[in-house]
Amino acid sequence: MSFPVLSSLIALPIVGALLLLVVRDGDRHEEVIRRIALVVSGLVFAETLLLWAEFDAASAEFQFVERYAWIPSFGISYAVGVDGISLFLIALTGVLTPLALLSSWESVHTRTRAFCMFVLLLESAMIGVFVSLDLFLFYVFWDAMLIPMYFLIGIWGYERRVYAAIKFMLYTMAGSVLMLLAIVGLAWLHYGATGRYSFDVLEMYALTVPTNLQFWFFLAFALAFAIKVPLVPFHTWLPDAHVEAPTAGSVILAGVLLKMGTYGLVRFAFPLFPMAATFFAPYLATLAVVGIIYGALVAMVQPDLKKLVAYSSVSHLGFVVLGIAAMNTQGLQGAVYQMLNHGVSTGGLFLIVGMLSDRRHTRAIADFGGLKAVTPRLVAVFLIVTLSSIGLPGLNGFVGEFLILLGAFTWDPRFAVCAATGVILSAVYMLWMFQRVNYGPVTDEKTAALADLQPREWAVLVPIVVLVVLMGVAPNLFLRPIEPSVQRIVDRLQEAAPAAIQARDHVFIP
Amino acid sequence: MPAGINAIDFYYLLPEIVLTAGALAVLVADVLLPRGSRALAWITVAVLGATLASLLPFADTDVEVANGLIAVDRFALFFKVVFLVSAIMTVLMSVRYLEIEEVSPGEYFFLVLCATLGMMIMAGGIDLITSFIGLETMAVSFYILTGFIKPNQRSNEAAVKYFLLGAFSLGILLYGMSLLYGLSGSTNLHVMASVFAGQARDPLLVLAVILVVSGMAFKIAAVPFHMWAPDVYEGAPTPITAFLSVGSKAAAFAMILRIFVEGLPSMTSDWQLLFEALAIVTMTVGNVAALTQSNLKRMLAYSSIAHAGYLLIGVVAGTPLGVSAMLIYLLIYTFMQLGAFTVIVMMRRADVVGDELKDFSGLHVRHPVAAFAMLLFMLSLGGIPPTAGFMGKFWLFRAAIESGYVGLAVVGVLNSAVSLYYYLRLVVFMYLKKETTGSEPTASPALALTLAVAVAATLVLGVYPRVLFEVAEKSAQTLGLGGAAAP
Amino acid sequence: MITPTHYMLLSAALFTIGVVGVMVRRNIIIIFMSIELILNAVNINLVAFSNQLQNAVGQVFAIFIIAVAAAEAAVGLGIILAFFRNKETVNIDEMNLMRW
Repeated sequence: MSFPVLSSLIALPIVGALLLLVVRDGDRHEEVIRRIALVVSGLVFAETLLLWAEFDAASAEFQFVERYAWIPSFGISYAVGVDGISLFLIALTGVLTPLALLSSWESVHTRTRAFCMFVLLLESAMIGVFVSLDLFLFYVFWDAMLIPMYFLIGIWGYERRVYAAIKFMLYTMAGSVLMLLAIVGLAWLHYGATGRYSFDVLEMYALTVPTNLQFWFFLAFALAFAIKVPLVPFHTWLPDAHVEAPTAGSVILAGVLLKMGTYGLVRFAFPLFPMAATFFAPYLATLAVVGIIYGALVAMVQPDLKKLVAYSSVSHLGFVVLGIAAMNTQGLQGAVYQMLNHGVSTGGLFLIVGMLSDRRHTRAIADFGGLKAVTPRLVAVFLIVTLSSIGLPGLNGFVGEFLILLGAFTWDPRFAVCAATGVILSAVYMLWMFQRVNYGPVTDEKTAALADLQPREWAVLVPIVVLVVLMGVAPNLFLRPIEPSVQRIVDRLQEAAPAAIQARDHVFIP
Repeated sequence: MPAGINAIDFYYLLPEIVLTAGALAVLVADVLLPRGSRALAWITVAVLGATLASLLPFADTDVEVANGLIAVDRFALFFKVVFLVSAIMTVLMSVRYLEIEEVSPGEYFFLVLCATLGMMIMAGGIDLITSFIGLETMAVSFYILTGFIKPNQRSNEAAVKYFLLGAFSLGILLYGMSLLYGLSGSTNLHVMASVFAGQARDPLLVLAVILVVSGMAFKIAAVPFHMWAPDVYEGAPTPITAFLSVGSKAAAFAMILRIFVEGLPSMTSDWQLLFEALAIVTMTVGNVAALTQSNLKRMLAYSSIAHAGYLLIGVVAGTPLGVSAMLIYLLIYTFMQLGAFTVIVMMRRADVVGDELKDFSGLHVRHPVAAFAMLLFMLSLGGIPPTAGFMGKFWLFRAAIESGYVGLAVVGVLNSAVSLYYYLRLVVFMYLKKETTGSEPTASPALALTLAVAVAATLVLGVYPRVLFEVAEKSAQTLGLGGAAAP
Repeated sequence: MITPTHYMLLSAALFTIGVVGVMVRRNIIIIFMSIELILNAVNINLVAFSNQLQNAVGQVFAIFIIAVAAAEAAVGLGIILAFFRNKETVNIDEMNLMRW
């Protein structure tokens, strides 16, 4: 048997967290604690790179699969594996975690050991979500991930952190419990069809779910994922969580956690229930487009830097959902690519905002101004990341948005047109923010005294800039491994399309 | 039915006999030992341990003994293990608590053993008379234990309330039982089942079912028969609250399953409907009322009411799967609930009661281990993976769905999301609040042991529940089959 | 001629009086007496059924109930006494230390 790569990826951060328990907490040991955490997360990143190197890009199948019986009487197993879609999301987790840890080097001084432990545990749970091939295992990781995030927001956040933490937890739980019931329902259906319980996603793909149940199950899954993404009527937890979370929390939240919602749609909700997905896709797309425009408009009027970035997330993830709802190769590929882009760009933006607020102890845009003269290097990086977030050709954001719009256009041009206005709006609010923060005269003497980038901060930002450029100029490096897996899902969706159109005519309400 | 008891019957009653003898030995030892000796607690634990060991020969037994008064089967065995484990943990957490409250431990431990004996008889009773005797042995012991701290007015008040409502509910239950006897001509549940099987639906029988359901609903503190629970839980000595919320509840559930699944299968649709309504109301009211509590014992009382609602899902499902889910959840609930109460006991000091939420603020600084344990129990009670509570709830909801009670499952999961709010409130106090002015917990070796067992069980059963699931499934299958007569 | 129905009606009446008594009276002792009425209603039922069915189990049950009720009464009165010593009242409206 080969080396259990994925299990070791999940286990490594946990081992690291347990290792930290051995080190004594306190100021004197702070440096040691941070280093251990950083080394562990660095090892995880190195392992994700290895995973990428070993990954067979031509195959649509799940690779590095491990399977062990867990609760055999109910067909629950520990089953993990990666395909092209999850591969890069794991890598993204691997990149962002050490960066988040590095970014907290100066800003987190209370209960450092607990902080590092929670970040590592969170990393483990996130990787678990992306590699799970068993629905039950997926749900366990999905929920388990809430606890460390709850603490990251609740302990190291800003003023209203407790409120934000509880809101985050309750929203996500309320959405996910119904998904649990749908998962049990699926296993039961599998029992009815084959005489054997199973939670295995691959076996579930082979299952034909009756149309009326597809509707309910899809709704239960989609609700859980829509809250996580977040789609517009369910988004109110996000600005609170982002604004109150510490920088590291925001980075991981925006960079990885939100992707779980869209990943869930791609991996579970759409391929498991293709008919219901086809039926609901226009509605999802409508919500997505509303989110794109609404998020952009609200971002425009935000006086707070972090809130602005938070609402821009709502807007950008609308694109991702639109791409998924288009249900064609370009759209889905764009959606997966845009997930990565958003992780890098928005993660980068949160890192920069964190650096600014650490220096200036404020996040209000009005308090800044004229930074270009004071901290030219920081502003240069800021510019690159901002442009990538807008989707400037040559940088990463462009590729994803272009593919999504292309996919949406071939599906239904109306959505593409509406979404395209979102692209323009995003340029407006981002550039306007950039201008107010960085240009003009220095309005405050406190701003004049700010220091430029430290070596540690360079270490945080350089990987982001490298990724922004690399993903912009060499998208095929990433798109090629993604394509076969995406194609497989698209084929599955197309297969069910005629039946779905028929279902739309006959069964309206389940 | 030939009268009399055979000698072989005494062999099957070995665990009960060991426990009774042990209880008497504790009373004698109390007189012999010097005052203030902690040895008595360890003797009690030894008695319970010996009883646990005496269960071993009956691991695969499935018989009815004493002329069909008591069943010795795996179903009863599972419950007996739950009772004995919770009794052991209760005794361990009582040691220091009793010293602080300055009450003599002799009768206290004796009564704990008597209550355990009553529970064991309830789990085995397949005759209305046996069940009734078991119930009263347990209940009377608990009345005294609740009011055990005589100078404490809350304890007095709790005891009076518990006694009055307990006796009242017993009256209702017995009236229902008397009707069952009148209609079937027997108090044996299996005979009753076969008599009713051939009969048309009798309105009087429906009345009897309603009365028995109400009487039992009092015992498990299901809404709307729950009024006594918050007051009694708050006023009783903390270890007794823990034992009450776990042991007595589990025993009442055992009796419910015996009476309804074994005795009244012909009325299934009626009692399922009643229990379904009870389950929905109980979960919802329990959770909503818990949201506003500032006293932790009271909050846990409402949470325990809500948990009775979850457990009722297993009764409603009525299938072996439902029963096994209930068994699993009861065992898991035992560990997490007793664990939480252990931490509350640790907070009790000579001058501080330590059961208000604010007593817990900043606990992670003062006692990281206790805070972590409490966090784990709260997450488990709220049903978050990877804790045991999640596995238990998952199994219950699965049973509900597979029996077609999807609505019940939906209400259940939504409730469990709501319940997170108040469990997290305690976490907010322990971890998130800046002020650290709460009281200082202290641990004795016995308390530390209890806590360690509870933490380990909550974690292990959350990650590796397979063995428990398989045992529970086997145990659930013996219910309702009716064992062979004793050789 | 007294039929089993008569016994059942008597028992039902006693049961109702007991339940109503528990609900409306405020004196703990009276409530306790009402509970005893309920138990006696049960006993009448059991003995009547036993006689009708020509089956001794009901009488056995009744004897058990009488014995247990006596034990319960002893414990209950003890509890009420302890409460009275501290509070000097037997009115349940004054049991108000714990309210939500």
